[in-house]
Parts: sequence; structure tokens; C-alpha cells
Amino acid sequence: MKKILLVEDEKPLCLLYEEELSAEGYEVTSVHDADSALEALKNKTFDLIITDIRMPGKNGVELIAQIMGLRKDIPIIINTAYQSYKEDFMTWAADAYVVKSSSLTELKAKVRELVKD
Amino acid sequence: MIIASERSKRPDDFRPASPEKKAGGSVFCPFCMGNESKTPPEVFALRENGTSPDGPGWRVRVVTNKFPALSPGAPPPKSYKGVFQWMPGVGVHEVIIENPDHDKELSDLETDHIQDVLRVYRERIRAIEENFHYQYVQVFKNKGKEAGASLGHPHSQIVATPIVPKRVKEEVYGSERLFRNNKECIFCRTLREETTLNERLVLRNDRFCVITPFASRSPFEMAIYPLRHSPFFTSEGDTELASLARVLKTVLTRLKALLSDPPFNFILHQAPNPTVSQRAWPGIEQYFHWHMEILPVLTKVAGFEWGTGFYINPVPPESAAAYLREAHK
Repeated sequence: MKKILLVEDEKPLCLLYEEELSAEGYEVTSVHDADSALEALKNKTFDLIITDIRMPGKNGVELIAQIMGLRKDIPIIINTAYQSYKEDFMTWAADAYVVKSSSLTELKAKVRELVKD
Repeated sequence: MIIASERSKRPDDFRPASPEKKAGGSVFCPFCMGNESKTPPEVFALRENGTSPDGPGWRVRVVTNKFPALSPGAPPPKSYKGVFQWMPGVGVHEVIIENPDHDKELSDLETDHIQDVLRVYRERIRAIEENFHYQYVQVFKNKGKEAGASLGHPHSQIVATPIVPKRVKEEVYGSERLFRNNKECIFCRTLREETTLNERLVLRNDRFCVITPFASRSPFEMAIYPLRHSPFFTSEGDTELASLARVLKTVLTRLKALLSDPPFNFILHQAPNPTVSQRAWPGIEQYFHWHMEILPVLTKVAGFEWGTGFYINPVPPESAAAYLREAHK
């Protein structure tokens, strides 16, 4: 089963994504801030990371920079409510930039595209 | 412009308490050598023989912006609703990665490398202007967070627009009017007078001249002019660009030393796409004179400036020029 690390500070959203992605056949580990994400990456291997940007503590852009310093082989999806972070060149390090919407169609499509068998 | 002499400041007043930290070393950067896969495919590069596009071995690299402000496309039709007009966001948005080393600013590069960056500007402008519906090509550099840069790795940007921007049109029309009144290019006349007065002259070599403009908008603002009249940056040859590279290195190094590496914006002003210029402004080659502006970000643009279009500059350009002339001694 392919493993996804979900970094999202809003717990109700985490639950929603966990349910939806589990139903698609993925194993989802949720954390709510960047430091916990880095900790999780030390202890477990993942096939994909989905991260929010605006979070307490380090934001998602800083998290991506740190992940890239550790390992560059895990695909990353930025999943944010804001378009404005596209102006930050560091977001280029991610493999996809999805703007949050009530439909998870785009997010699920990007997950399928990036998690290869 | 308001030169606020009662608020007059010295260079030390602008030195930051703690200089901006650079995100070098272990932190990832998509512009660094080896991370080419994290950028869109390159559209142009100066690279070592035998190396492949989108791999290491480059000296200057140009990529399209992954999230462009404007995207390439067919000439856009305008839409109208009452007094409102708009058009699709068609254009070009490219990023020029000036060198592979994250921590080497433009002023730290060897002169021949700066010349290469300028050559790349010229080649990209020429290529983009082949599509005449890209009416204006703007080259600019934001250095430092306060100046709008999101990443410390030295880079410049090119944005080509499907219309000639308002500020550029104002400059074209203003220089046309002054040409009619004075019977000569206003920029050439200004350079002659600045050279004679020698109050705002920072430096001059065989081909270029740097001044702190009369009524500068921001402290230590500088303008670089070619001494040979020319409306288009793209008409400069390699010899001219080598000379410009020497001038750029000198003034940027002095600015860095004088003001502890300040954030700045660097803007290239040239006439609109030659195809458009020849049709819309016959004679533009006589009255427009390309130039570069360097605007250190040392003051805030706030309510008064937005409301009036005036800027309050606490450093008279004559003082700024004197400091910049002395900065290398």
C-alpha cells in the first residue's frame, strides 16, 4: 500500500483527506505542523507528501526547503487555499500546486499522477 | 519629488541593524546547479560544451516562470463593458538565473560573467520581440526580500506584455515632446549638462555614464546611460556590453559597500518592440534613449506617495553622488 504523509494544521480537513485518500487505497499519516512532518520523515518512508502552506510555526514553503535538503526523491504536492505562494520560487520545488476547493478531484488526480506503482 | 533636507540622512542611517541572511548552504534552492529538474525546461542557456540542456554545466540559465504572471498565446482581443476594458493575460514571463552559485551576487561575478548576463538579456529580448504582439519587454531584477525577491539565488526576470505599459508610454511621449521643443534627445542633453555640472555624476567610462538623477525618487537611485544615442538595448554590441558590465560591477559594488548590501530593484528602460515603435511612434529612434535604473529600497512607498505620485527622498542626489564617488576610496 502506497504511503502518504499529510501535513495540514486544520484537523477537520485532515479527517476528510484521510477518509477520501484511504478510500482510494492509500495509507495516510497525518501531522499538523512542519516539525512533526520532519520527525515523521525520519522514522518512516513515504511515497508522497501533501502539505499545506499556512501553518503555525514553520510554513509549508520552509518545510519543502528542509525536505529537499534531506531527500529530493519524494514527490510533494502543495495543497493551499492561496494562489499567492506561486510568487515564491521555492514552491517550484514541489511537483504540484493545488488550490484547495470543496471538490478533491484535482488533488486526487495529482496524487494518482505522482504516486506510481 | 520632495527632497527632504531637514530629514537628511547619511549612508550609515540606512545600514540594517542585522543584514538579511542568505539561505545558502544546506537549504534547498531550485535555482542551484544540480536542481535543474525542479525548474521548467530551459529556454536558453550559456553552458559548457558537451553538457545537456536541463543538466549541470551552465553559466547563465533562462527558464519560463512555472507560475507566470502572463502566459504565451495568440494576440488577445480586448473586451469591453461600459467604460471597462480588459484582455486575457497573454505574454512571456521568464527567469534568468545569473550564475550557478547561490551566494554570488551580480556584483560578485567577474566582469565577463556580468557581460554574459547582459548578452542573455539581449538575446532573450531579441527572440521575444520577434513576436510583434509582445509590444513591450521588461527586464528587471529584484534583489533582497524588501525589493520583492522570494529567493536569495541571484536572478533577473523578463516580462513581455501585449500592450505598451502606461509608464513607458509616458516616457515615450514625454521624450517626444521635449525633442520637439529642444530639437535634440532630452537624454543626450541631460547627459551633456550632467557631465558639465559634475554634481550628480557618479562615474563615466568610454561608453557609459552613471548619474544620480535630478529629483531622484529614492535615496542613492542611479541611472546608467549609454553615451552613444540609441533607443534599443538590443542594438548594443558585445564591446558595449563588456563596458556596461564593468560599470555595473563598479556601481553595484560601491552600493553594497556604502549601504551594507541593500535591497534594490534594477530596471531596463528601452523603447517598445521595434516593429510597434516604428508604426506607432515614427522618429522614436531620434528621441528615445535606453537606460537602466537602480533603485535601492531604503524608504517606504506609503499613503502620500500613492496619493500624489510624489516621493519623499531624504538624500539629495548631489550628496548621494558624492558618497558613491567616494565609496571606492
